[in-house]
Amino acid sequence: MKVLAIETSCDETAIAIVSEVDGRFVVEKSTLASQAKIHAQYGGVVPEVAAREHTAHLIPLLKEVGVAADGEGIDAIAVTAGPGLVPALRIGVELAKTLAWSWKKPLVAVNHLEGHIYSVWLDEEKPSFPALCLLVSGGHTELILMKDYSEYELLGMTRDDAAGEAFDKVAKMLGLSYPGGPEISRAALKGNPEAIAFPRPMIKSRDLDVSFSGLKTAVRVYIAENPNHFVEDVAASFQQAVVDTLVSKTLKAIDQTKPKSVILSGGVSANKHLRESLRSAIHPSISFHAPELSLTGDNAVMIALAGLHRAKNKEFVDPLTLSADPNMRLA
Amino acid sequence: MVYRTHTPEETKKVAAEFAASLEGGEVIFLEGELGAGKTTFVQGVAGALGFDGPVRSPTFTLMNRYGVEAGAIREVLHLDLYRIEDPSELTTLALEEELGGAESVSFIEWPMDKLPSGLWKTIRVKIEINGDSRVVTVA
Ligand SMILES: Nc1ncnc2c1ncn2[C@@H]1O[C@H](COP(=O)(O)OP(=O)(O)OP(=O)(O)O)[C@@H](O)[C@H]1O
Ligand SMILES: [Mg+2]
Repeated sequence: MKVLAIETSCDETAIAIVSEVDGRFVVEKSTLASQAKIHAQYGGVVPEVAAREHTAHLIPLLKEVGVAADGEGIDAIAVTAGPGLVPALRIGVELAKTLAWSWKKPLVAVNHLEGHIYSVWLDEEKPSFPALCLLVSGGHTELILMKDYSEYELLGMTRDDAAGEAFDKVAKMLGLSYPGGPEISRAALKGNPEAIAFPRPMIKSRDLDVSFSGLKTAVRVYIAENPNHFVEDVAASFQQAVVDTLVSKTLKAIDQTKPKSVILSGGVSANKHLRESLRSAIHPSISFHAPELSLTGDNAVMIALAGLHRAKNKEFVDPLTLSADPNMRLA
Repeated sequence: MVYRTHTPEETKKVAAEFAASLEGGEVIFLEGELGAGKTTFVQGVAGALGFDGPVRSPTFTLMNRYGVEAGAIREVLHLDLYRIEDPSELTTLALEEELGGAESVSFIEWPMDKLPSGLWKTIRVKIEINGDSRVVTVA
């Protein structure tokens, strides 16, 4: 089975083709482009113009993946339907609907978060259920229990800033370049993670929520009060506070849900220190899964992987009525 | 109006008081540096208008929406332009479609200088960090 997947939930526009042969997934094509910058003067621009611009951006990607004009060889189309920004989602959803309708191919709607979870399905060893997922990115910090295929329970999330957002904002305060995540981890390699005792907000709370805005503020105050601070020490101590918080909440969730596997995914899962800390903190009887680096950020391969599963189960949606859902829930 | 607050709870209380003055259609520009308390302020507003879900930072999502029922107001739109470099990128948000409607109030963190205020009924809320406290100015 071969799926064409489209993802436009926020900044990235991505298309991929992934096929499955005897339970093995093969990425045939994958392309990605940052959202088109529309250089029209602000004020008098109608949304239709924006939509047209985005579509103009998607078509070259479609050509790049080399799909036949009549969709030959494609068995189903998968698209991110939410959660995300409606004007962005709508572009992908409308394109997917059009292709599905004109090619007469079945259409599946994928949740963006589900996509991130499925990013580890490319590996040989698949997670067994129940699987506990820690999804950490610029816009998300969620602990999700995947009890079985298509069966999710949201256990906890951030109450304010996402982990990736905290990385980017602290990097900015330290004068490091964008994107801040990799810069912080690089600087942290040369710093002392115990140099500064930053708070681990909510680490003692009994629920599975986290909060990072207090940590952001603590770093700001420290920098203001210590003009001669060592950037490397601040980076290492901040990163340690984030990692400690995430690892401790994940362990708490493991305690409560007794999963057979743990999945770490999302942009922040590229952080080596987080990966290694979490991997070594969990009991060896629980398998640990994290995506290959190219699949940590937003991409369409993960949407295809999730879509393949739904397509095999014939969980199709109507190409005439599907619409983008900004608050789409995992189900 | 100028308020001085010493805790996030006090800032939320000021926000709740401010929320009571809203009629619908207002677009509020929230100004203040990183960690000043802009998101905290919106948490206070949304809570006061009856939203009991989480109010998180929209820095990456660009816009969050909270359904409420407070007089004519049915929705709080919570935007954050921190990551937007050029105002032309705002067209992707289809801002004109969303902001300023009579049944919503919109809060914009990091509104930038270039965002036109003439389109809507705009209110500026500035939060300054002053040692251990915050100075909240509503203009
Ligand atoms: N008096 C106060 N009012 C508001 N927040 C306060 C106050 N004192 C301390 N804080 C802390 O400051 C932080 C404010 O963070 P918040 O995310 O609301 O700021 P922000 O202005 O939205 O930041 P950003 O620019 O990153 O969006 C919180 O951690 C909060 O607990
Ligand atoms: Mg904020």
